[in-house]
Amino acid sequence: MVNEGTETALTSVFREEWPRLIAAALRITGDLQAAEDAAQETLLAALDRWPLHGVPSRPGAWLMTACRNRARNVVRDDSRARQRIASLRPLLNSSPRLAGHGSDGERPSIADDRLRLIAMCCHPLLSTDAQVALTLRMVAGLTTAEIARGFNLPAATVAQRIVRAKHILSQHRVAFAYDDPDIGTRLASILDVIYLTFNEGYLPAQGESLTRGDLAFEAHRLASLLTGLVPAEPDPWALRSLLSFQLSRLSTRAAPDGAPLTLDSQDRSRWDRELVDDGVSSLHRARCGGRRGPLLLQAELAACHATAPSFAATDWALIVALYDELLAIQDTPVVALNRVVAVAMAAGPMAALPELDRLACDPVLADSHRVWAVRADVHRRAGHIAAAIADYDRALELVGNQAERRHLAQGRREAQEAEMPAFRESPPELVARFGELALLAGDADRKQMFGYPVCVLHGNMFMGLHEDSLILRLAGADRAEFLGRYDSGLFEPMPGRPMKEYVVVPPAVVYDDAVTEWVRKSLAFAAQLPAKKPKQKKG
Amino acid sequence: MTRFLLAGTRPALGSSDELALAAAAHCVVEAAAWHGWLRRWGLLLSFGLPRDPGAVLRACLVVAASDEQAAERLAAGWAAVGGYRVSVLPLTGERAGETGW
Repeated sequence: MVNEGTETALTSVFREEWPRLIAAALRITGDLQAAEDAAQETLLAALDRWPLHGVPSRPGAWLMTACRNRARNVVRDDSRARQRIASLRPLLNSSPRLAGHGSDGERPSIADDRLRLIAMCCHPLLSTDAQVALTLRMVAGLTTAEIARGFNLPAATVAQRIVRAKHILSQHRVAFAYDDPDIGTRLASILDVIYLTFNEGYLPAQGESLTRGDLAFEAHRLASLLTGLVPAEPDPWALRSLLSFQLSRLSTRAAPDGAPLTLDSQDRSRWDRELVDDGVSSLHRARCGGRRGPLLLQAELAACHATAPSFAATDWALIVALYDELLAIQDTPVVALNRVVAVAMAAGPMAALPELDRLACDPVLADSHRVWAVRADVHRRAGHIAAAIADYDRALELVGNQAERRHLAQGRREAQEAEMPAFRESPPELVARFGELALLAGDADRKQMFGYPVCVLHGNMFMGLHEDSLILRLAGADRAEFLGRYDSGLFEPMPGRPMKEYVVVPPAVVYDDAVTEWVRKSLAFAAQLPAKKPKQKKG
Repeated sequence: MTRFLLAGTRPALGSSDELALAAAAHCVVEAAAWHGWLRRWGLLLSFGLPRDPGAVLRACLVVAASDEQAAERLAAGWAAVGGYRVSVLPLTGERAGETGW
């Protein structure tokens, strides 16, 4: 009995049965809180009995009987409830379930109690936040603390949402037994709730970790439950397919240190093949519906990635075409941003930049770090390092997730390093000449800057080497004279960033006696500059 | 050996009390293992469960223990795996040797 397998199997039983128990108790008590209490009491009864009597051969049936009995006791013990049930009896007796599991054929819209429960939790009277919290509590059986942890919210906030949702449903007399809407009218909300839950688990907006897998898998479980309950509807299949594909690579989305790994650096051999296969078969079922809606197109897109043998073999042109199709029916900035990423892959970064510039001004995206992160990456690939760094900075200001923050900071560092020219040692004869010239500046200190020898007076650098050039710092008039006399220019350690007080001494002048005069002028200029305090070393 | 009655109680559930499903499964497995251990050592003589699962008194065990301290240790073990508040009651009024212990 004591093994992980048993525990996992029991957890599955409890999870599977939980919404059934709630629904069964709800039918009897007519009250969501009383139903939840009865389901909890039933679990406690199992905790008391199963260790002593052993787990029953049909645990689900045992739980159901115990829960119904408990719910009946609750109603029987409560005198007010007794009156209520008396007034509801005619309705209860005429409900499809009590009249033979919906066999009367009059109200076939929601045949399964679990689906009826999901529909109730996604009631249009409730806000989306409340729908999500109530669905996860009542259908998925997550505790308030678990939901709060999943969404990185205080437990009190989630508890309040659930209590308020129950209150609203009770206030508006939304009764489970006869509130039997056409599933079609609620399906969109139900799918939204599941998708939102998944997104929060797959890419949390806040917090330390990159993923909160439990929430993502819970959403997948709900989507799978939904496909079982309404198998003829294509959209739940499309959602299941999409979630399966996304989940298949969940474990490869982060490096051991928590840093995000993009598709190109993920180990595809570690993608979950069973989930990929489930995604493919669910996609086939979804296609049978004939309508190419947003969920189906997103599933098709996810399939392109999940079934590509390698990153290089990804069919980016097809992905762009699918995004075009998606944009035609769901023209949102987020879809447009995803499309432009695909464009950058299919046609190169320059093809993506004009659209990215437009999207960066979109009010929906401007406050999200994603558009800036994408543009930073595209700029970097195009070799526009300064622009990439500016976009990384903007993204870093806006990002909330700590793992993503570290990833962006790393990208920025890499871009900065790419901008820094590689170190090239100065030739020995130039170093020797520098040594001779440095003797002219008796009081100056000799130091190393970025690996090159320099002369510094009172903290101000005035002469130094850079690669195969001698550099001098000159006052304005001397500088003008120098640049007028020699075929030279300002010192530009990085392209496009000249240092305006420094000139490059032409090689012919370096070894000429004339250079000594310019070194003296340079030293005199440094002597006039305000002294710099030496930097204090840390520690 | 003396017989003791261990009475396991739980406070009535409040509306804010929630039982995590995975934790419940874990608890069943742990408690079953503990009861199995008690049985193997011949320490679990009998048990009783109330008809109404909603009662505060949830389960009783009749156990054999050498003295009250040993019974208290068993009670602490049961409390830990079952999540009960456990009271220990020595069973009296039996003639020595009648139980076969």
